[in-house]
Amino acid sequence: MKRFVYINDDEASKELSCDNRISNTKYTLWNFLPKNLWEQFSRFMNQYFLLIACLQLWSLITPVNPASTWGPLIFIFAVSASKEAWDDYHRFLSDKKANEKEVWIVKQGIKKHIQAQEIQVGNIVWLRENDEVPCDLVLLGTSDPQGVCYVETAALDGETDLKTRVIPSACVGIDLELLHRMKGVLECPVPDKDIRRFDANMRLFPPFIDNDVCSLTIKNTLLQSCYLRNTEWACGVSVYTGNQTKLGMSRGIAEPKLTAMDAMIDKLTGAIFVFQIVVVMVLGVAGNVWKDTEARKQWYVQYPEKAPWYELLVIPLRFELLCSIMIPISIKVSLDLVKGLYAKFIEWDVEMVDQETGTASYAANTAISEDLGQVEYILTDKTGTLTDNKMIFRRCCIGGTFYGNENGDALKDAHLLSAITSGSTDVIRFLTVMAICNTVIPVRGKAGDIVYKAQSQDEEALVIAAARLHMVFVGKNANFLEIRLNGSTIRYEVLEILEFTSDRKRMSVVVKDCQDGKIILLSKGADESILPYACAGQQTRTITEAVEHYAQLGLRTLCLAWRELEEDEYLEWSVKFKEASSVLVDREWRIAEVCQKLEHDLYILGVTAIEDRLQDGVPETIEILRKAGINFWMLTGDKQNTAIQIALSCNFISPEPKGQLLLIDGKTEEDVSRSLERVLLTMRTTTSEPKDVAFVIDGWALEIAVKHYRKDFVELAILSRTAICCRVTPSQKAQLVEILKSCDYRTLAIGDGGNDVRMIQQADIGVGISGREGLQAARAADYSIGRFRFLKRLILVHGRYSYNRTAFLSQYSFYKSLLICFIQIFFSFISGVSGTSLFNSVSLMAYNVFYTSVPVLVSVIDKDLSEASVMQHPQILFYCQAGRLLNPSTFAGWFGRSLFHAIVVFVITIHAYANEKSEMEELGMVALSGCIWLQAFVVAQETNSFTVLQHLSIWGNLVGFYVINFLFSAIPSSGMYTIMFRLCSQPCYWITMFLIVGAGMGPIFALKYYRYTYRPSKINILQQAERTGGPILTLGNIETQPRTTLEEEVSPLSIITQPKNRSPVYEPLLSDSPNATRRSFGPTGTPLEFFQSQSRLSSSSSGYSRNCKDN
Amino acid sequence: MPSNTASSSSAAAAGSADSSSSRTKSKRPKYSKFTQQELPACKPILTPGWVILTFLVISVIFIPLGVVSLFASQDVVEIVDRYDNVCIPPPDRANKVAFIQGGADKSCTRTLVVPKRMKQPIYVYYQLENFYQNHRRYVKSRSDSQLRSVKDENQIDACKPEDDVNGRPIVPCGLIAWSLFNDTYALSKNNQTLNVNKRGIAWKSDREHKFGKNVFPKNFQTGNLTGGGRLDANKSLSEQEDLIVWMRTAALPTFRKLYGKIESDLEKGDTITVILKNNYNTYSFDGKKKLVLSTTSWLGGKNDFLGIAYLTVGGICFFLALVFTIMYLVKPRRLGDPTYLSWNRVPGGGR
Repeated sequence: MKRFVYINDDEASKELSCDNRISNTKYTLWNFLPKNLWEQFSRFMNQYFLLIACLQLWSLITPVNPASTWGPLIFIFAVSASKEAWDDYHRFLSDKKANEKEVWIVKQGIKKHIQAQEIQVGNIVWLRENDEVPCDLVLLGTSDPQGVCYVETAALDGETDLKTRVIPSACVGIDLELLHRMKGVLECPVPDKDIRRFDANMRLFPPFIDNDVCSLTIKNTLLQSCYLRNTEWACGVSVYTGNQTKLGMSRGIAEPKLTAMDAMIDKLTGAIFVFQIVVVMVLGVAGNVWKDTEARKQWYVQYPEKAPWYELLVIPLRFELLCSIMIPISIKVSLDLVKGLYAKFIEWDVEMVDQETGTASYAANTAISEDLGQVEYILTDKTGTLTDNKMIFRRCCIGGTFYGNENGDALKDAHLLSAITSGSTDVIRFLTVMAICNTVIPVRGKAGDIVYKAQSQDEEALVIAAARLHMVFVGKNANFLEIRLNGSTIRYEVLEILEFTSDRKRMSVVVKDCQDGKIILLSKGADESILPYACAGQQTRTITEAVEHYAQLGLRTLCLAWRELEEDEYLEWSVKFKEASSVLVDREWRIAEVCQKLEHDLYILGVTAIEDRLQDGVPETIEILRKAGINFWMLTGDKQNTAIQIALSCNFISPEPKGQLLLIDGKTEEDVSRSLERVLLTMRTTTSEPKDVAFVIDGWALEIAVKHYRKDFVELAILSRTAICCRVTPSQKAQLVEILKSCDYRTLAIGDGGNDVRMIQQADIGVGISGREGLQAARAADYSIGRFRFLKRLILVHGRYSYNRTAFLSQYSFYKSLLICFIQIFFSFISGVSGTSLFNSVSLMAYNVFYTSVPVLVSVIDKDLSEASVMQHPQILFYCQAGRLLNPSTFAGWFGRSLFHAIVVFVITIHAYANEKSEMEELGMVALSGCIWLQAFVVAQETNSFTVLQHLSIWGNLVGFYVINFLFSAIPSSGMYTIMFRLCSQPCYWITMFLIVGAGMGPIFALKYYRYTYRPSKINILQQAERTGGPILTLGNIETQPRTTLEEEVSPLSIITQPKNRSPVYEPLLSDSPNATRRSFGPTGTPLEFFQSQSRLSSSSSGYSRNCKDN
Repeated sequence: MPSNTASSSSAAAAGSADSSSSRTKSKRPKYSKFTQQELPACKPILTPGWVILTFLVISVIFIPLGVVSLFASQDVVEIVDRYDNVCIPPPDRANKVAFIQGGADKSCTRTLVVPKRMKQPIYVYYQLENFYQNHRRYVKSRSDSQLRSVKDENQIDACKPEDDVNGRPIVPCGLIAWSLFNDTYALSKNNQTLNVNKRGIAWKSDREHKFGKNVFPKNFQTGNLTGGGRLDANKSLSEQEDLIVWMRTAALPTFRKLYGKIESDLEKGDTITVILKNNYNTYSFDGKKKLVLSTTSWLGGKNDFLGIAYLTVGGICFFLALVFTIMYLVKPRRLGDPTYLSWNRVPGGGR
């Protein structure tokens, strides 16, 4: 399929008739109600409630007033619908803002100012510097005579560097005036979401030059939501508009995420539903049998002899309605409410505010807080997430002299500064390479200062550092570079740029010194790709040492080199280079080959060391979360060495004796397969040892592994607690998330750039860092936080509390519903199995809505452990991860409790109110009061920390119950008239209540005490420790072992720094050292590692089973 | 170069800067104890001392309460006489239903001996067993609005099948009223008539608000099926206290309903002769009928359940307190001992 776009021709493009209106809204004004209702009713629970509510309209079977179900049902639907409507309205507003942005377009040769939404396909759009591109354009002209312009694509792919875009060859040299009247046709593919491809053709109509077809690539496009930078103006013809742009196509409505907890609650609801059906069938059969045997004899009931056909169904249906309260209608509202509050707590948390920028955390998705407490895998981006993404030149080694070692900042090193002023040749050359061996574009800022626009942050750091060292890169004019050194200006002409490729791992420029006409080759690159080409005789030992030294400090190193070229050597080479550059087949490889011919006999000037500073608290955060049993994977687009270095410096992987790195690589299937096999073998054998084993894989190998050896790779993923994936693309990141998810792990993806967006959306929980790479990730994420270190608070504090609270709230909701339902069931046995409701409609409705929902809502501020204890013992998160607080067995406990309480309430009520007191309304009210009293005490017993609010709601609710009932008892027309007054004046009532509470709570309290003291869970132990005050302090001392950070740890990391040691598999570092086999490990972490890594494979492993038994 | 590019470039730049920072939530959250979840909280801990004390206190409260309740129940003097079987003449006992539905004289004389002195007021109840006043078909078959006011006479929807006779509404309609209990008792003590006060036996609130003063029985028991008792058509419903009592449906299949009050004391050994009319049919469903004379205490009638239950719960609590004390003494455990945390244990070392 192709589409034809006619430039500047409204008539011909009309059939495409797609304006540039962006719409992200889900509903329109008209379809809101039906669509929303349809969506709501696609949930099983809602269908169930609707069915019940409809059945209740049949008065023959309804035990109570239909309003008792319809009221809450309508309320719940209204709440959900208005929430949706509100969200959608906000989407509409933000769309509207984008749509109404003003842009310049050209129509029939005249420039017009229109709104962005009015742009038609084929319009010529004009952009100025810093304008946002309103739709996908094909470039036609720019202010640059060469037809180049720069765009920032951060919003699209998250890369902050400037990209160059060029006008198609057919448009080169077209006069500005003519541009306005340009006509032509573009043949382009139908809209897709691939932002790296655009295979189109363009043909201009006469009078424009030749009518040759000119091919277009992505290099000729300006895509929607990019920004035009460093270019005065640019114009282009719109090819895709509105929701058909590359960005629009890739923007899907994210699937609503369901937490593991919701899934569990749904499962339990299903179980209760099955139980209910069984109960209904049993009672239905019993009811029919009783009716036929007994009720026929009871003349006062007057059962008709001839029954309608549905007679058999009536009793089961009555019981269905009677038991329908087993599934609490209030649970959804309660959960929505508390989830909203969890999200608010995250946003309100002052400890999660980035002090530098004042950015508070933000929970875009309010529904998945509990999942935070159940995270098992964290997949993190590196740059900008773990690091600050601020590259700073820190140290250097020039000609064997180390600078910046004393104070950690070479820019302030007096020796270096004096070397510069004295004009030491090596130093000056070194600085020259720093300043001009790059693709940086200097731009004059408004205030006259120079701003550097660089594709790579490293280059930018080098140029800035050079400027600080008085070697200022002033300007670039076509091929002429201007440099100012100590007041004098030096000009260079750039002859060739030998671009950086990931294979070459170096880049060079060939420049001609305009003063003396010398031709110089300047190179910089990774040590392994520069040092082998050093000129014979130069000692590279100091350089190697320097690189090694810097690498251990976690610095990114580059070697700088220099060579003067003879003119004819250059000319000879230049011909070959030009030739290679124009080859169509294997161009990259040919160029590399040619470059190699020039890049030899280099004189190594020295080494630069750039710091990409870790964010504050990253190592601690990773260590704590790791102790909490969370596995970390690092997914980065960065190269392997840097990734490993960063990983080491942030506790991601452990250095030598404790840790082991396994490398999977290879270019071909066989290589990868072999490598994978070997790593798996090592993994399997080492899982029994408490050792930090991590595997490292690069994008290429990953692609092969996932494609052909998925099974092996999945096994590896399960075995490995840590992984480093380097050079991975955004889609591979998402793929990894998907692999982990397919193994039923809860994943959290954290990232900061647009390249992390897909992974963030794919993961169970996406966390965005509202950082330097724009807000792309933060916008797509469920949570956005200011810094990486807030993650530990997000998970350990907010996630954990949310999980605990929801676990209580949901089970309690079932408990209270079951309690009242069991009483109804028991009552049916003494009411002729006829489906009489013991409670009246008002009580039934109010029971769920008022009497029992308020106290439990206050459980959202309950804290089982203080934040400090959790931080000190992050292992406690295991209870949430493993779902210890909400699972079928805990639920069975609550089920049993409600059964027990129902028996207590029922037996006591019918015996205490026997004979002359057995009046229906009174008895019902006594039973109800019993339930209310019991539930108040149950909430009180399950509350871990009582604040004023808790007391207020628990006891206030009890008082409220009486107030409400007094009110109803005062209305003469209500069935309950005077009932409550009569009851409250009888001593017998109060005696009964005390008995119910005593008999109901006594055993439960005793059981709790017994468990708490003699079979305590870890949570209980910490509670005791925290509240009795004493032992926690000593405990803290055990926990805070002297942590060996990388700065202190200077054990030789052979694999990383010594190229000669590299082998496909990273054998245990220093495998012959005794440490490798007999290592000592502290009390921290190790048992947990057992059950974390092994539990997946065999639940019988010691650590795991021990922990299971303990609860 | 185009001339108009410079004109609004600054505005455009400002615009783009604005859009990029629009979503940043730079508003710092306000600090409050609630938003930070730092409300001062009391965190109770289940120390053995507190728990044992709690159980002791409960048992100390419950056991005396149980004793008091039991005494209250023992104080109540109760005479229960089951008469449903014995009030059928022996020849008719083979077919009780036929007898009760027949027209023979159903008078029956019972003699009761007062075992203990009974202080007034003495309540006269009739007790029915195996009678399901709480059956769904039965309990719903009434019209409260019809009972309350004369203008709602036609609100008989809920009353089926006893709703109307030939299209005219029955007042009071429904199965409950239709099956009104109609045995009568005439009591005499030592051959002197013992006055049974039948006024004030229904709830005051029912007489005044639930049953209308100007609502009179209409078409009652005139259908082809006669259920229980008949009503005096000249007395308003609010005065028909037997009906009002009967219409307070019982929640249990065994229940007592107040028949009247004896407002004089009975001495020990007094003989009470009851001449009763055994009209009500409980024979078709094997229901029992009993006549009950009972005094009352602060806890109500004779009911040992509360006392026994209190003693049981109190006893169990005392036992638990004892067990916990012994457990504490025999096997004390330090609360919050960090060595119980598995991750603090040396792996493999055990404990």
